[in-house]
Amino acid sequence: MSQIKRIVLDVLKPHEPTNVEVASAIGDIRDVDGVNLSLYEVDQQTENVKITVEGTDVNFDLVLQTIENLGGVVHSVDEIIAGKKIVEEEETLHDRG
Amino acid sequence: MSFNIEEGRYIILGSIDGLLATLGIIIGVSVVSASNAVIVSAAFGGAIALALTNGVGSYLAESTIEHGKLAMTEKSLLRKLNNTYVESQSRRKIAKGALSSGGASFIGSLIPLAPWIFSVGSVAASVGLSLISLVALGIYAGYISKQSYAISVVKMVALGTLIVLAVQLLRISHLVQ
Repeated sequence: MSQIKRIVLDVLKPHEPTNVEVASAIGDIRDVDGVNLSLYEVDQQTENVKITVEGTDVNFDLVLQTIENLGGVVHSVDEIIAGKKIVEEEETLHDRG
Repeated sequence: MSFNIEEGRYIILGSIDGLLATLGIIIGVSVVSASNAVIVSAAFGGAIALALTNGVGSYLAESTIEHGKLAMTEKSLLRKLNNTYVESQSRRKIAKGALSSGGASFIGSLIPLAPWIFSVGSVAASVGLSLISLVALGIYAGYISKQSYAISVVKMVALGTLIVLAVQLLRISHLVQ
């Protein structure tokens, strides 16, 4: 299995633990180099966040387990980059239209 | 274990309860018996009972609210939060509420009781120590509420004095009979 370099997740989480605590907990996972957590929707009990995790060999199961332990639910896995180098999404003619 | 504003509520509630209820017991019992041992036994029994009822009361109230909050969050998330960080934080909050309420009540009870424990007991000493503690509690309440310390102290001492006066009135009515 090739190494996972980046994961982008759409997560629904409670207000507590805070986004700082969630980002920090994911950042503490072994082989994770950095985390970006962006808040894009706030409801009465929950908030939707986009979590981007980058690293040399990100353990996907451990990231999911950490989020679930913090009370979050992964709605979707929006992007996965794996292999020897990071390959960005290319814009196609369809996207331009 | 650190205490925040939430626990401050229980510390103030428990302390006032312990302080004034025990002072009431001391004033009341001192009318019928001047014996140091009788007053200490009665007040200490009251202090233990107050600490337990405050602790258990806070535990039951806090666990009701926390479980309700958890249930609402679980409904929104469409998942159970058993064995998660969220549930463990909730359990910690319940325990801290019970401990701070029961503990503050017991410590508060010991203040008016202290002169009697050290055999220098007099109602005046108990009342004096209680008023000093109410001043300290007023300062703490002012710090928590970010309001004027002076107003907070005056409120705390005035309400405490009212309670002491009410108990003293009962003592007078007892003497009249």
